[in-house]
Amino acid sequence: MAMRQTPLTCSGHTRPVVDLAFSGITPYGYFLISACKDGKPMLRQGDTGDWIGTFLGHKGAVWGATLNKEATKAATAAADFSAKVWDAVTGDEVLTLAHKHIVKCVNFTQDSNCLLTGGNDKVLRIYDLSKPEAEPQEISGHTSAIKKALWCNDDQQILSAAEDKTIRLWDRNTGEAVKTLSFEASVSSMEYIPDGEILVITYGRTIAFYKAHTLDPIKTIDAPASIHSASLHPDKDFFVAGGDDFKLYKYDYSTKEEMESYKGHFGPVHCVRFSPDGELYASGSEDGTLRLWQTAVGKTYGLWKCVLPEWFEVKWYAVEKPNVPVHGGDGNQRLQCLQHNKAILYTIQDRQ
Amino acid sequence: MKTPVSVLRLPRGPEPNSRGFDPNSPRYIALCPTTIPASQGNKADSVNLEEEQQLRSELRECFLRSLIAMTDKQVQFNLYEKVQVQAKFGASDIDVLNFQVSDLQTPLGVQKEALLRCQDMISYSFHL
Repeated sequence: MAMRQTPLTCSGHTRPVVDLAFSGITPYGYFLISACKDGKPMLRQGDTGDWIGTFLGHKGAVWGATLNKEATKAATAAADFSAKVWDAVTGDEVLTLAHKHIVKCVNFTQDSNCLLTGGNDKVLRIYDLSKPEAEPQEISGHTSAIKKALWCNDDQQILSAAEDKTIRLWDRNTGEAVKTLSFEASVSSMEYIPDGEILVITYGRTIAFYKAHTLDPIKTIDAPASIHSASLHPDKDFFVAGGDDFKLYKYDYSTKEEMESYKGHFGPVHCVRFSPDGELYASGSEDGTLRLWQTAVGKTYGLWKCVLPEWFEVKWYAVEKPNVPVHGGDGNQRLQCLQHNKAILYTIQDRQ
Repeated sequence: MKTPVSVLRLPRGPEPNSRGFDPNSPRYIALCPTTIPASQGNKADSVNLEEEQQLRSELRECFLRSLIAMTDKQVQFNLYEKVQVQAKFGASDIDVLNFQVSDLQTPLGVQKEALLRCQDMISYSFHL
């Protein structure tokens, strides 16, 4: 019996949410940072959406935000011509990196030692965070404002998307462009999946998947509306996308079929990302909210609770004998309830 | 008609008067060394801890007395963006977040009464 998705709304921002990023999985769970035009990026607990803190210091709209894997550092890119690095545990500002124009995106290397920035001055910059006063390495080539820049291929290469309707792959050491992809429209978002080396990009109504090393196309899918952002599930079985029509779409990655669409936001969806464990995805919208959506609707996770309605006949099966329904059993028996499309495991105590 | 998934509660929102990052959260305690190096150690360091506390209280007292000494004096404030302003210092709030000043000389004219945010200051100086 299918259940209806209940998105969790995270309020607090007062202007559109334009970017969001998850950390990796840490001993304290995983975290989420949101960039907002109100200039106050926020850190939240990833699985519940609970607010942890607000990074105060930027004097303009924050266009990009990111966390390192361990969620100990955060970086933000803002319209005040600066990128800032923050201590994500204390909320303190650690570094301000002055730029000559609006900064749009920031990205840490896997070891958190280098920060990549890109923005309206069309130049990619690499900062060594152990030597912040040193001049950054600069990579030029784009002919319009850079919207998104990411480290890839074990931080040896850089992928950048700009308003000049190109995506360029750069060698980090030589600063040379290795490959350029041109599009009919400006790319609205980019996501890099290291495991599998897949690049997810969106432009117009299209969600496209490319091999990150070679920029060879894998597949494209056309959505019903203009898409601003898409994200591929870590297991690569589905992806989600959102855009101008305020809805979130869920697609089967292998078959390219639209599986579900969800309404909820009151404005265009600007960013969407899967959590590192794939159990939920977060979306940020023009309406100033972040929403968390379950991947497996109805599963008990985070703040969502699976409640079995009493009037359904629930069939219980012993894990060791999956074909024989049982009623009762001793305290040590592990039972399995088949509901929705996934099995949920309960012990006898839970069931009572 | 599909039943909506139940939710334990809604995600907690921001606190109105705080920027968050609760210092009592397990993550903060585990990842942030305390600012008093001696307090991290074992019992043998308790002597050092006491000494350090002593020095810290002396410094704090010195700072508070400097604020008293500054009252009604002309103070030069160095702010960000290479801005310098001069004013007569009145008082500080309890958390030293704001300074109340009079006759603040700004590039736009003289402000009879003003509140300067301490986070905007790089340094300030006055003659004793």
